[in-house]
Amino acid sequence: MIRGLNIILLIACISSLAGVYAIKYETLELANQIAALKKEGNSLNNDISLLEADWAYFNQPSYIEPVVRRHQEKLELNILNQDQFININDIPMRVEEDLDDKALTALFEALDRGIDPIAVLIEANSQ
Amino acid sequence: MIDIVRNRHQTIEIEGAKKARGNRTKARIYWAMAVFILAFIVISARLVQLGSSELSYNYTGVERDLATASRPDILDRNGQEMAIDISVPSLFAEPRRIIDVEEAVYKLRQELPQLNEEWLRDRLTGDKGFVWIARELTPKQQTRILRLGIPGIDFREESKRFFPATETAAHILGAVNRDNQGIAGIEKYIDGDDLAVLQEIGLARGRKLEPINLSIDMRIQHAMHAELVDAIERYDAIAAAGVLLNIKTGEILSLVSLPDFDPNDPSSALEPYNGVKGARINRITAGTFEMGSTFKTITFAAALDSGKVNITDEFDATKGVKFGRFTITDYHGKKRILSVPEIFKYSSNIGTIRMMQALGKENYRAFLTKLGFDNALPIELPETKMNTIAENFSDVGAATASFGHGITVTPLHLASAVGAIINGGNYVPSTLFVRSEEQAKQLYQRVISSQTSAKVRYLMRLNALEGSARKANKIADGYRFGGKTGTAEKVIDKKYSSDFTFAAFVSAFPLENPKYAMVIIIDEPKKENEQSGTTAGWNAGMTSGRIVKRIAWLLGIKPDFDDSIDINLVPIELR
Repeated sequence: MIRGLNIILLIACISSLAGVYAIKYETLELANQIAALKKEGNSLNNDISLLEADWAYFNQPSYIEPVVRRHQEKLELNILNQDQFININDIPMRVEEDLDDKALTALFEALDRGIDPIAVLIEANSQ
Repeated sequence: MIDIVRNRHQTIEIEGAKKARGNRTKARIYWAMAVFILAFIVISARLVQLGSSELSYNYTGVERDLATASRPDILDRNGQEMAIDISVPSLFAEPRRIIDVEEAVYKLRQELPQLNEEWLRDRLTGDKGFVWIARELTPKQQTRILRLGIPGIDFREESKRFFPATETAAHILGAVNRDNQGIAGIEKYIDGDDLAVLQEIGLARGRKLEPINLSIDMRIQHAMHAELVDAIERYDAIAAAGVLLNIKTGEILSLVSLPDFDPNDPSSALEPYNGVKGARINRITAGTFEMGSTFKTITFAAALDSGKVNITDEFDATKGVKFGRFTITDYHGKKRILSVPEIFKYSSNIGTIRMMQALGKENYRAFLTKLGFDNALPIELPETKMNTIAENFSDVGAATASFGHGITVTPLHLASAVGAIINGGNYVPSTLFVRSEEQAKQLYQRVISSQTSAKVRYLMRLNALEGSARKANKIADGYRFGGKTGTAEKVIDKKYSSDFTFAAFVSAFPLENPKYAMVIIIDEPKKENEQSGTTAGWNAGMTSGRIVKRIAWLLGIKPDFDDSIDINLVPIELR
């Protein structure tokens, strides 16, 4: 009986040994992967930091102004003049055109009654 | 029988000894088993513990070395980057692992020809474990050098401070050294704050810190910078500087001092400018000047607020004021009796002295103290300078001081003081960090009454409509802009010289409820053309006008040409 037990134990020992080695190499492999990913992450982070720096640089007014100056003539760009500002109330209303009075009246009446004809249309279409 | 018994007895004895030994062995085996089982239980318990515990993937706070020490991003008030960290590769060598020094030197110098051959050979020879060869290279250079395949050299990533706006905000930001420590400007200030400690204990390394928001608006900073660069060229000046304050909060929206430097190359701050050493200082906080007639704004506020001078009063300006053998006269002499607004408008030295004398020189000196002229600037920049104002004024000293001569102050002191005078009478210390109006109100110190403040606003607007700020107002028309010019003769060989002047212009807008005050200085301006003059209205004034025209709408001020605004500014006594 003891012999049988010993054999079983021996087999168990050898297989666990093999298992442990397998795990060890797997871990090494994983560690390599981690190191590679970390390196990649680092280099990506560095790239991001450089791209962010580019973005910040190209966004500076001091960078944009020379670009504007280069195209100033063609695009007729100038510093805003005070008379270029007007009040919102000074904007003229839209010129009256041929309006469908009947349809508009019907629309406003429907809205007054609490019915939104456009919403009704959308609902009818979606069903 | 007895023998047998005895023999048996003996056998039993022998058997007993064997048995006892066997028992002992068994016990030992049991003990050993128990120990092993216990050990295995401990190991498996530990395994279970390790297997069930969750690994923390949060690596922040992992200590990195000082080379990757990071600094917080510095942003302007709108979130535009002013200073950021970038990682750059730096080249180092391990001389003890280099096999062929000559080959390494030859190959490296092909890629980095700026390296001195002797120096490099010396550097790579020997038994050292680590030497820097070239720091802060580009990623492209890194790839090319790695491709050379030289053994014993490698790269490591370093943090480098990058200032994307280059010169535009140089004097605000300052600079950092190779080890990422601030050596000037706001960079030095934040180090003194607590960053140095964080870096020291390794917490600020290689991880993002909270960004810092400055009160600067980069759009305005750029506009002022561009206009001042233009002014130096236009007026052939040796220097120019300007500061724009939000006078309700004390926030500095822009601060420019020319000539400046590139913070990406800190050594450029020390380079001579047109052969003059130390010309690249921050003139706004670390330069003191005789601010000339701009100082009259302060004298007027002091006199009017004391009640000893009324806005309706008149003073005799027919003759110069005599102090012993000195006589002080007017530049634009009217030689008649002038009203208080006229004294301001014509910038009469005589009238201003008379007003100061009515106030009393001790009161005048005390008023300067009240406005913070005796204190160091409450600004976050390390580069500051104290004003030179005599502790007690002599009669002639007080007289010259009343029109800005004989005392030197920093432009920022003047801007803060004028801001306090026209914002309703509350002094608020200036800052480079974002501050809300509520926070600012906690810091308010009343220096003059709101009535006096309104009168000075009227005087500044009057000067823009009828006085020396006319040319500036023409450019910035519609933004309710006004100010006071100041032209001081510079001291050349211990004598005041009329050929070399110092022009200053202090202004505010929109004057019906001023929110912004600005001081522009131009050192040694010349005539722009034959028709123009050299007084401040022609240079500092017009530059201010151009700046306001460029930035006022960015600050949300809509042009308004309604005359009633100007009429409402006139004090009741004068209507």
